Amino acid sequence: MGTEPQRPSGGARNPGDVGDAALVAQARGGDREAFGTLVDRYADQARRVARAVLQDPDDADDAAQDAFLAALVKLEQYDSARPFGPWLMRIVANAATDRRRRRKVRSAVSLDEGLVAGGARPDVLAEREVLLGRLRTALAELPERRRIAVVLFDVEGYSHAEIAQVLGIPEGTVRSEVFHARRKLRALLADWRDDG
Amino acid sequence: MTESQTPFDHRPDARLGAVLREALDAPRDRAAFVARVVAGAARTPAHPVEHLLARWAARGIAAAAAAAFIAGLVIGRARTPVEPSVSDDPGAMIADVQTEPNLLLVAATGR
Repeated sequence: MGTEPQRPSGGARNPGDVGDAALVAQARGGDREAFGTLVDRYADQARRVARAVLQDPDDADDAAQDAFLAALVKLEQYDSARPFGPWLMRIVANAATDRRRRRKVRSAVSLDEGLVAGGARPDVLAEREVLLGRLRTALAELPERRRIAVVLFDVEGYSHAEIAQVLGIPEGTVRSEVFHARRKLRALLADWRDDG
Repeated sequence: MTESQTPFDHRPDARLGAVLREALDAPRDRAAFVARVVAGAARTPAHPVEHLLARWAARGIAAAAAAAFIAGLVIGRARTPVEPSVSDDPGAMIADVQTEPNLLLVAATGR
């Protein structure tokens, strides 16, 4: 808890690491190893954003994979003067949204079943899982755009301007979406602290 | 949640972010996911057919237009130009002119 959001492109890498733009240039030239480095760098982020949209972890992984492969095909369209992360996250969000539209909506019950699977746990861990489950449910109840906005802002550390680019909406709307999402999620956390 | 922060705060909320991250982190093996994507990428052509076609489309259209133009010129030159026939026969000229009153009559009567 209390960790700052870590952005893959935010300078948290080792000094010897190759920048995103250089890796994209190599990947454009057919270097699959460079593309693999980009995948490794953005895998966690892409999976979380996809899961914020889809809830189901398997669906989210499939959507994230689709997004990476779509990004590979579209690399020629990427403007290397701009940051790679928002460009990729836009593809991820679109892939997840497309998948959600195609599939049948699964009930929240199945989500909770997945959480408690795995046998008995110590009380603290079990309570933690309940909190996370409630948080996932609360997140799922938010409008999709709001979900993506708060995850990109508070989890992944993107700026409002970058999220506006990802979602294709004005920056002021992003601020509003983050505000409404936080209000709901913080209320849940506050209730939990009071209960616990 | 940081107590001093409001929902309007422009800074990321570290506590909310950490809990959300934990809630959204995939339970499945990360390395397996990366390997799956990389394997998929290996099967994806570096320059897909549609991209090559798109790249070649402009050149193809220009080449086709140039070829059509040249073909038109060649065919045009190959044909023998037909000289306009000018008749010196006054009777033929009168015969051509004589059709005009008939046309005017048809137009006037509406038949």
